[in-house]
Amino acid sequence: MSAAGAGRGAPQLRSLMPWLVLAFLVWLVGYPLLVVAAEAFGIGSPGGGGPTTEAFRSFFTRPDEWNAMWRTLWISVLSTLAAAAIGVPLGFLFERNEIPGRRLLGALVALPVALPPLVGVIAFLFLYGESGLAARGLQSLGLDVSWRLTGAWAILLVHAYSMYVYFYLFTRAGLSGQDGAAIEAAQSLGASRSQILFRVTLPRLRPALAGATLLTFMTSLGSFSAPYIFGGGFRVMTTQIVASKLNGELRMAYVETTMLALLAFASLLLLRKIDPGLDLASGARGTPPARRRLHSRGARIGAAAGGWVLAGVLLLPHATLILMSLVPPNTWTVEAFPPVLGLVNYGDLLSSTERLRPALNSIWMAAAATLAAVVVGVMAARLSLRRGGLPGRALEAMMTLPWAIPGTVFALALAAAMSVNAPWVGRFVLVGTLWILPLAYLVRSLPLTGRSIFAGLRQLDPRLEEAAASLGAGSLRTVLQIVLPLLRPAVIAGAGLAFITMLGDFVTSIVLYTYDTRPISIEIQSSLRIQETGIAAAYGVLLMVLSAAAFIAWDDRAGGRL
Amino acid sequence: MRTALTRRSIIFCLAAAAAVAGCGGDGRTPLVVYSPHGRDLLTVVEQAYEQTRPDVDVRWLDMGSQEVYDRIRSERANPQADVWFGGPATILARGAAEGLLAPSEPSWAAALDPADRHPEGLYYTLYQTPTIIVYNRDAISEEEAPADWDDLLDERWHDEVVIRDPLASGTMRTIFGKVLSDSVVETGGTEAGFDWLRRLDGQTREYVHSPAVLHEKLTRQEGVLTLWEMTDTLSLIDRGAPIAYRFPASGTAVIQDSVGVVAGSGSHDEAEAFLDWLGSPEALGLAVREAFRLPARGDLDAEVLAPWVADVQSRLRRAEVDWQMIEENGAAWMAEWDRAVRGQGGG
Amino acid sequence: MTASGVSVRFDDVSKAFDDTVVLAGVSLTVEPGEIFALLGPSGSGKTTMLRLLAGFEQLDRGRLLIADEAVEHLPPARRGVGMLFQSYALFPHLSVAENVAFGLKVRSGTQGETEARVAEMLELVRLSGFEQRRIAELSGGQQQRVALARALAPRPRVLLLDEPLSNLDPALREETRADLRRTVKQTGITTVLVTHEQEEAFELGERIGLLNEGGLEQVGGPAELYRDPASRFVATFVGRCSVLAGVVKERHGGDELTVHLASQPEAPPWRCRGSGELAVDDRVDVCVRPEAVRLETGGGPGLPGEIEAERFTGSNSFYTVRLAAGPTVEVAMPGTAAGLSGACVVRQLAGELPSTFAAAAESGP
Repeated sequence: MSAAGAGRGAPQLRSLMPWLVLAFLVWLVGYPLLVVAAEAFGIGSPGGGGPTTEAFRSFFTRPDEWNAMWRTLWISVLSTLAAAAIGVPLGFLFERNEIPGRRLLGALVALPVALPPLVGVIAFLFLYGESGLAARGLQSLGLDVSWRLTGAWAILLVHAYSMYVYFYLFTRAGLSGQDGAAIEAAQSLGASRSQILFRVTLPRLRPALAGATLLTFMTSLGSFSAPYIFGGGFRVMTTQIVASKLNGELRMAYVETTMLALLAFASLLLLRKIDPGLDLASGARGTPPARRRLHSRGARIGAAAGGWVLAGVLLLPHATLILMSLVPPNTWTVEAFPPVLGLVNYGDLLSSTERLRPALNSIWMAAAATLAAVVVGVMAARLSLRRGGLPGRALEAMMTLPWAIPGTVFALALAAAMSVNAPWVGRFVLVGTLWILPLAYLVRSLPLTGRSIFAGLRQLDPRLEEAAASLGAGSLRTVLQIVLPLLRPAVIAGAGLAFITMLGDFVTSIVLYTYDTRPISIEIQSSLRIQETGIAAAYGVLLMVLSAAAFIAWDDRAGGRL
Repeated sequence: MRTALTRRSIIFCLAAAAAVAGCGGDGRTPLVVYSPHGRDLLTVVEQAYEQTRPDVDVRWLDMGSQEVYDRIRSERANPQADVWFGGPATILARGAAEGLLAPSEPSWAAALDPADRHPEGLYYTLYQTPTIIVYNRDAISEEEAPADWDDLLDERWHDEVVIRDPLASGTMRTIFGKVLSDSVVETGGTEAGFDWLRRLDGQTREYVHSPAVLHEKLTRQEGVLTLWEMTDTLSLIDRGAPIAYRFPASGTAVIQDSVGVVAGSGSHDEAEAFLDWLGSPEALGLAVREAFRLPARGDLDAEVLAPWVADVQSRLRRAEVDWQMIEENGAAWMAEWDRAVRGQGGG
Repeated sequence: MTASGVSVRFDDVSKAFDDTVVLAGVSLTVEPGEIFALLGPSGSGKTTMLRLLAGFEQLDRGRLLIADEAVEHLPPARRGVGMLFQSYALFPHLSVAENVAFGLKVRSGTQGETEARVAEMLELVRLSGFEQRRIAELSGGQQQRVALARALAPRPRVLLLDEPLSNLDPALREETRADLRRTVKQTGITTVLVTHEQEEAFELGERIGLLNEGGLEQVGGPAELYRDPASRFVATFVGRCSVLAGVVKERHGGDELTVHLASQPEAPPWRCRGSGELAVDDRVDVCVRPEAVRLETGGGPGLPGEIEAERFTGSNSFYTVRLAAGPTVEVAMPGTAAGLSGACVVRQLAGELPSTFAAAAESGP
């Protein structure tokens, strides 16, 4: 790759590049959605007559479909409120007060984020389920209590638990970025503490809170694991789609998919309209106000004790999962606490390559998807920000679009679009191949890596790249030696998040996996199906450990600079 | 140092990917089996078959029988499975109608009842799975236990029934399908059937997501009754689960648990050979002894297979079932049940 | 270490961004080894010329030649052009030595050659011993010198300087300017410099091109631009001057004219210079430099006026005089003659011929 070779014909290629990358992204991200919408109308589906609105008509006339839409919406609203109610006060507590063990506790409180959705759900099942540890514990104390972890409340509980972290982290980031001078100014003007909170601190926290709201709301909208495991007859759109597909009503599944996608876009637009400045990046940094020290010894001890209890409660699902993974098969029936503990399940898991394979699959697919998402992200960000124009804006839109698409929707769309061999319209048979799942992971990773890479590149002086170019460096060298090293924090932040998310993915995998690509989550589900709760828990622990390791590495290198 | 770390992690990822991509190519012919039969039987079958055919690598994916159908249909453009191993004939019939199965001719086909064979050889019944009433024997004595389907609607069992979510389960689809087809046969419409199911829904404490949870709940008496099938139940009892079962007095639907070769399979001949072996006395003997499967072919000596086979065959009362009707209407019925019955029977 | 420089030519170059024309058919030749300054207000297109030359922008029309070879289709990396950016654009993750070596490593010399060249360059900018420093540890002036060393290290054919001093403290600028000139001259490289500061252009540039609204107003040496501006824009942009309206009274030989300052027909006419196109009775703008006039408080012949303000700079005092007819004129008085005020007359200094241009339409009566 001599400089001379790269140079010839470069002008044409250079001006074509944005369009090429854009075309790839449209094909990968937008096209499947269009195909699904078209097939919902009976257009282009193999062997199915002319266009018809019949499926839509039956969708709109069925109360159960409306119910599912409505439930999806209010579950998402309530989940967001619940998550905010937990996360925001916690954020204030740990950012504004000097509590003994604050750093460690503060990190522990964020740990639910390292619990992939499915794993969190089964941990909740083991812990708070009808025959979970909690119920058994209480019953063994002679209390005649029983409850069922099903329906809306169960879903809400899991959502609140797994999503408050967004509010917590955003609040902390927002608070730490606030300039203490503003508070001091308010104090000098005679404002009371509550006035300061409501008139100074909270308004300035608004971008952070809006970001967390958007993230939480969109996540609940697409949430699948919790409704799938706990929902029973309580259907939300994601489970409704899977049920329709399972029942062979493909057309209806496509209609539901289209409707959920529309609901997601509408919500996104609405939330953005409410707060146009909505962005996940928090505001400019100043020196945050000093943390409040608790003066009395008692208060300090009380706060520390409270903090540890809280951390304990928040970590109970993790602990339960670990405990369950130590219960050998068929040894625990009616006792309050497992009578036998051992490493049998892990031995089982590690002894056969067939058992380990899903773990390897998850790792390589998540890694490949993340790597590809970083490459595409850097390409798209450079083309978009450095060239600008219409393709530039479209590129950025395409990178963020998948973020608004629930996983179930995209998985179904991809499966629908890529099950037909029609290369001239951009459709290839990818279903059943090794590639479709990593490709789906890639799409789901794009907004995660894209967001941080775009933000990072925006802050990077474009002159640096020009300097490298004028010094004789080609495009590749400029990216590798200048852009990537300088974007490192942004790349690691985005890639870490993408890797963790894809490692535990369940909703896309359940639609698209094959024998060769079955990931951990599918193995967990099938272990549960055949009563191997111990194995399922052991896989869950494995996933939790992998995610936590990635999260800690990520937090370590990127967190401080986010 | 910092860049070295990144580089190392990238190299690791690529190496891991290469390792994974590289493995699995041990020279044996892969034979992919989609099956709802569960790890127990599948492991036994895999090991035994690979012993007789060392050149074949049996790879199975375990999932609900309805999921098998969904998956094979989704993969129609690029079939991944070679063998569709298990599931009620009604589901395989639907697959056959949609062209998901390819004809085969196992040597044991002649030993089957004509009703257990697809006329074009697309699938064959391998095992018979009676549907039964299962109860926790610590909570309910044998005398108290419901003797027939209708007894489940008794007031005393209110909120005591747990049911495997019927959408994903071929067994439950068969049981519900029989209720509805009987209703059509007897009353000319599904009204009565849905009414019965609505009452059952009223008795139902919970629909659970997997047989595992079903058994767990039954064991722990979070619900003491269920409608399920015999094979699974026998193996649980064998493992010491505190449960017992009853063949309903009025007769029961016996699920024709079938096998077929997936259309478009890359190794049709291997799949057919596997099918042929599955129905051999040797393989059936394994299934009977290790996994409590009741063979469909009638030419084997029950006593030789296992003592329990003869016992079951003597007690079992087969009901007349209009399989054709269930096959044709099953999907619509279940969709209707899902939207109009589930959760509506309470009160 | 002087290299024989190469010529740089803009041949009828045009460039527009969207609908805004930034350069309209500019032609310019920079001689080999010359330091050429592009001077102009912001938005005049000077930075665009530099970026076109570097290859960061593509021209719409015309040709660009370096050493008589068309380069407009070459990517930046292959033009052999070194650039010193206004922000320096030093790579913050690399050390001083690594920054300087960046352009050398691209060219795949041996390790020894690279090290030797880096040492040579750092010595040239007097930063030997700073090799392992991180960029953030350097002062602004040091950063500028690293950037210069980095730009020069790969032996570019042409050096481009984009507002090289604007990021420095005013106190440092003067010293750095001399330094920069010395270093660049030492290498003998053809250099194009962009600046919006006349002083900077005058001190660094051997020749200057003055740009306005996408076109070259005048090209010439500093003295030529100052003494013989080709347009009213040049006159006002280069150095200070007050514009007074007048009417041509008489033409003399060469380019000399007698101009009656229109507002005060009773005052003695001024001796001015103007192009041959100006005819008698033409309305003109006369650009009066502060040092070309004197004021006298004691009365006498001249334009009567009133002293409005005084500004003392050390070597001169500048007076703003409101002429009786309305406009103001700025007058420089050498020395520390402070404290003048009240009524005065402004008269032309002998031998100083103000430049005269056809009156701009809007300045008519």
